Amino acid sequence: MIERNERKPYWRHTRTQMLTSLLPFVVAMIVLPLYADALNDKRILGVPLGYFLVCHGLAVIAFVTIAAFVNRQDAIDHWHGAHEDF
Amino acid sequence: MAFASRTRLINPRLGTYFGIFTAAIAALVIMAMMFEQLGASDAIVRFSMFAGPIGLYGVIGLGSRAREVADYFACGRRVPAFFNGLVLAVSALGGAGFLALTGSLLIVGFDAMCLSIGWCAGLVFMGVLFAPFVRKFGAYTIPTFLGRRFESRAVRVAAAGILGVPILLLIAAEARFAGYAAAWMMGQSERLMAAVVIACAAAIVLLGGMRALTWSSAAKAIVAILALAVSASIIAILVSNLPLPQMTHGNVVRVLTRMEVAQGVPLVLAPPLAFDLPGAGPEPLVKRFMQSFGSVGSLSFVLMSFVAAAGIAASPGLLSRVGTTPGVYEARKSLGWAVLVVGLVVLTLPAIAVYLRAMLLEQVASHPGDRLPLWFQLLQQAGIAKIEAKTEVVKLASISFERDATLFALPLAAGFPQVLVYLSLAGALAAALAALGSALMTIAAIVAEDVIHGLTSDTAVDTQRVTTARVALIGAAFVSIWLAIAVPADPLQLFVWSLTFAAASSFPVLLLAIWVERTNQWGALAAMVTGFVVTALAMLLAETGAIGMPSALAGAIGLPLALCAGFIASKLTPAPGRNALDLVSDMRVPGGETLYDREMRLLRLRSRAPG
Repeated sequence: MIERNERKPYWRHTRTQMLTSLLPFVVAMIVLPLYADALNDKRILGVPLGYFLVCHGLAVIAFVTIAAFVNRQDAIDHWHGAHEDF
Repeated sequence: MAFASRTRLINPRLGTYFGIFTAAIAALVIMAMMFEQLGASDAIVRFSMFAGPIGLYGVIGLGSRAREVADYFACGRRVPAFFNGLVLAVSALGGAGFLALTGSLLIVGFDAMCLSIGWCAGLVFMGVLFAPFVRKFGAYTIPTFLGRRFESRAVRVAAAGILGVPILLLIAAEARFAGYAAAWMMGQSERLMAAVVIACAAAIVLLGGMRALTWSSAAKAIVAILALAVSASIIAILVSNLPLPQMTHGNVVRVLTRMEVAQGVPLVLAPPLAFDLPGAGPEPLVKRFMQSFGSVGSLSFVLMSFVAAAGIAASPGLLSRVGTTPGVYEARKSLGWAVLVVGLVVLTLPAIAVYLRAMLLEQVASHPGDRLPLWFQLLQQAGIAKIEAKTEVVKLASISFERDATLFALPLAAGFPQVLVYLSLAGALAAALAALGSALMTIAAIVAEDVIHGLTSDTAVDTQRVTTARVALIGAAFVSIWLAIAVPADPLQLFVWSLTFAAASSFPVLLLAIWVERTNQWGALAAMVTGFVVTALAMLLAETGAIGMPSALAGAIGLPLALCAGFIASKLTPAPGRNALDLVSDMRVPGGETLYDREMRLLRLRSRAPG
């Protein structure tokens, strides 16, 4: 169980992790669609790059974001002793 | 302190059970194909593909009876991350994802991706911002969570009323999608079939509540994903020798773009705030597939992605599902699985749209109007496709296509056996039923727990609470049937309105409740009421043409204003008490007992104590 004096550092760490996870994803959500047309002249694996980044890229970024978050947040929980006891 | 063992809670044979279910569905499809080849009537084949899967969902649902409150409202908190993620993903997508998104991608191409981005991003936002904390709290409904967090019955009842609106809109939308798919399978009217599927969805969850909903929805998710994968994979093999439509449709996109240029499909640029997703009837294919911002303006695209993401993340029906997992870590992991499943689905849907559009360009456009392929003539007879202008040579822009028919038009166009057309319809129906069941269960739980018992007693005995929820579910089913019949709007429009209301009224208050400790009951009330009222007003003004913005984006105004209102109201009123601050502090730490379960245990002990 987490110590009383560990709660504030734990929450600070959690908040930083939340921002680190979400900010790059939010930026990608805005930037990639806006530049899709301009990037469509180039190709990746035979697919127009702009379309590839919005269609495949954002889905992959979403999965990597949540997977990295689950992993990192679990490590933060254990670091501060805030994890569940099973 | 009571700690539960994860291994003791989770049924280790779940994989076997759902393996058997998948084999049963595969056997049903193969048998139906055999009957079709043996010359059985179309009515028998389509009835078996409609009633077979629904019968299996019914067996699972009715076999998962629940008597205890924790079983009825939270599936005993023993749903593994994978199954919870699977159900979350398919309930989030529903008929809107499977039918309307595929059709929108066919008709407006790239621009429809604002919705698919919203779905993926919404589940990411939910996993990072809300799910771990809502799971640690463990309340059965979101209004209960808010009422307990702010120690206010007024917040609880207000939340029940305000959050009920997006749920009812979602029910109306999903009932229409389910009715549409069922009507195509059974050859009956959409309204009649909408009433039938609502009755089926309610009957499946009536006895077992969240337990029945979870396991039957896992089965529905398997059918939906199988149905989506089969036709798309067969075509991918025919096109590229690989059964991966998600990765191999890129080459078809290139060919498609070349053909569109050769046929002179114009480049259209919409104003930044335009939002013109296709409606329910046949819509012309006037825009190039790859061109961005031809139907949905650049600003609308970005705003819609965020509104959809916020609406999915704070959807009361989806968020209350995280309470079914055994712990906070499993809740986070389940969102990872949900993003993976949604990601795979939203990569498959553009492939289906691209294949069908390429077929239309290759086999219909540039061909004489009197020498069209047989499959297109069949689609014309069924009212799915139309050729608007009577020209000698058909142009792509003169072809109109019914949005919601795209998913099952592909196997028809590819000349696959009729059973695969019905399988696609059964998949869309399964997804719509999963979303419908989830919304019905949520509204029933809110009425029973937050309105009826929330205003009287929290310590009512289990049987009373479960019975009230069952009665509320029956009432909700009747209201839903009325809504599905009476509301004439396009179901995609209803779905988008549901997202916009959830984004403006639910997202800000949840964000403040979890991430801003200082927020008190006045802040919560201000956030909810401001978000709801501003969004409703903006929608009304947008629909009447008084403001130059689409009603679907009303949430983009309501959400920031609701956040500001909540923040300011909390600052201007006294800080929350020590109990509320302790509760927030406990909620933020994954370890320890589930807060709602602890509170219920203490309340029961107190009510049993002598004197």
